[in-house]
Amino acid sequence: MIEVLISQVVNGLVLGFLYVLIAIGLTIIFGMLGIINFAHGAFFALGAYFAIMLSSYIGWAGFIVGPLIVGIIGMLTEVVLIRRLYGKEPLLSLIVTFGAALFIEAAIRLVWGAGGQPFSPPSILTGVVEFGPIVTTKYRVAVLVITAVILAAFWAFLRFTPYGRILRAGGRDPQMVSLLGINLPLVMTAAFGFGIALAAAAGALAAPLWSVKPNIAEAAVMPAFVTVTIGGLGSNLGAIVAGLLIGVTTALTIQFWPEASAAAMYILMTIVLLVRPRGLFGEQWERFE
Amino acid sequence: MPKERAKDGRLNRRAFITSASGLAVASAGSLSSPFISSARAQEPAKVGLVFAKQGTWTEQGEHLVNGAKVALEQVGSKVLGRPVEFVWLDEPNPQVAQQNMQKMVDEMKVSAVIGGTNSGTSLAMASVAKRSKMPFIAANAAARDITGKECNRYTFRTLATTPVACRAVAPHLASIGKNWYFLVASYVFGLDVYKSMKAELDAVGGKEVGFDETPLGTTDFSSFILKIRQAKPDVVVLAIQGNDLSNFLKQYKEFGLQDKIPVCNPVIGDSDLWSIGAETSFGIYGKPWHFSDPSNPPADKEFAAAYSKAHGRPASDKAWLGWQSMRMLIGAIQKEQSFEPEKIVAGLETLQVRDGEALTYYRDWDHQLLHRYLVLRVKKKITDKWDYLELLGQSPANPGDLDTLFGSKAEVGCTLGSL
Repeated sequence: MIEVLISQVVNGLVLGFLYVLIAIGLTIIFGMLGIINFAHGAFFALGAYFAIMLSSYIGWAGFIVGPLIVGIIGMLTEVVLIRRLYGKEPLLSLIVTFGAALFIEAAIRLVWGAGGQPFSPPSILTGVVEFGPIVTTKYRVAVLVITAVILAAFWAFLRFTPYGRILRAGGRDPQMVSLLGINLPLVMTAAFGFGIALAAAAGALAAPLWSVKPNIAEAAVMPAFVTVTIGGLGSNLGAIVAGLLIGVTTALTIQFWPEASAAAMYILMTIVLLVRPRGLFGEQWERFE
Repeated sequence: MPKERAKDGRLNRRAFITSASGLAVASAGSLSSPFISSARAQEPAKVGLVFAKQGTWTEQGEHLVNGAKVALEQVGSKVLGRPVEFVWLDEPNPQVAQQNMQKMVDEMKVSAVIGGTNSGTSLAMASVAKRSKMPFIAANAAARDITGKECNRYTFRTLATTPVACRAVAPHLASIGKNWYFLVASYVFGLDVYKSMKAELDAVGGKEVGFDETPLGTTDFSSFILKIRQAKPDVVVLAIQGNDLSNFLKQYKEFGLQDKIPVCNPVIGDSDLWSIGAETSFGIYGKPWHFSDPSNPPADKEFAAAYSKAHGRPASDKAWLGWQSMRMLIGAIQKEQSFEPEKIVAGLETLQVRDGEALTYYRDWDHQLLHRYLVLRVKKKITDKWDYLELLGQSPANPGDLDTLFGSKAEVGCTLGSL
């Protein structure tokens, strides 16, 4: 039994890393911009489609170029649409980004059709990895490593560069940062684009695992929101812990009570919110209270 | 009338009088309608289509509608000398499916409705059919209740029921091994398949080595796959569809099990495999129809040719279900020489079309379409862009057993009621 448990917990952790990558972009956008981005899943889908399309021309470089292009699309969206929502009612950003999500999904359907896009892991990453009771696949290990590298780089960027300091400060007190003579609108555009690029990178990494159809966004957006809620709005560390927690909870529920596995993360969310209403690592932020 | 609108947006006197007189003319027009009813012969008849335009079932909906369209085009969009058009509304959930069908009956004045990409919406629409006395063909619903407990005089069903599909595939699985693992979707369809397949397994003295219900919309199956790996069954019996099935197959292959433990889904659609591609496709499947089946009758071959000419790809089983439903409807209208609902029902209950040595028809006491069921396997080496499957067998082996395959009156449990 213990072997089964270990194998499920590790499998859940591996899956959790994918949830973390989806959610971290959402939490960045909320933390820095105060926008609840309902279109996050749609950009995730766009990432998957761009990666598939580009990889037929430029091979695996498509997995880097794809998310970058989607990030640029994200920046354009910020300039045209999102910028108008800063400081407004949260409900407004919810409605506008929900509309954007529907629009992007319809655009995907128009360009690529309603059918699925066949896609498999690269041959070098196919195969199973076994280590005692632990069984996973080479591709899932690769997803784990790539996510860890992205997260470490992001952390170092925030912690050690002046730009990181501006981003962190801008998230807490935008007015003060502007008064210091920093071009905040440009910083906001970059932050939004970065969050979107992360969503797209998650989409690209999920493409060989999940069936790529226009509604793949639905599969990503709910876990992302639940992760952010459990972790605490705007908390990067919270998103990481919550993503892994959801992965493990879902895996264990599948082992013991499979029909409830889809509900597991919502039950977890309810329990966490009852104990800590701001989420695990949620702090009191003046501007969101 | 924007010119006549007062600047503050309220109607001024002139605008009010103009619109009031417009209304008067319109109501006079409706009063005088008895005198122009002779022109009605040229007024197009309408067939309502209620198939998904969004969500999980979008692609299936598109194929069903495209198939139905081919059947209409084949008769030049004219039946009994009267032009026929179709209206297509969405079915995002059972409630809206019902509302849309009701709208077709009350406002659009359709002559019949074909619809339902899934059992949930189909059952909901069957109740509208009964209440409004509107002929309804459920094209793609497998749940047995539609032509069983919940059957009614106005509802017909084209797809085979789950017990039929299970009876067809079970012998092929039993020949591989008798330890089965069940992985079924947690709703009517999945549990229906489990019930039927378990009965087939018990009948050959096999053993159930695992059973999991998967929530609808599951994206990651890795934890389920670990359980299957642990249980070491001879066969995995699946009852999951659409996106979920594509996800499962992709990940099952990722874990390298596709050549070790065979999988079988008694009911599958072509697009489930097309969407993951030839490289990732494997398994044994049941389907009502296959475009390259050499025993297809001439009418089906004509349909397949017309469809691939129009869409640049072969007709899926869903396209065939749409076509077959529409074709039977047109045939029924022609047979009874009438667009009246009761006559259409009478036509559908008695119309028969040839399928090789057998006849295909809606059975008059439960309104289930009797048609052979195919068992197919993904080819070892796929050379065609679309044709992944090869025929393993078909059920019934003897065309005379078709009626028995679809169940006796006692098994089906349908009482149709009067017109």
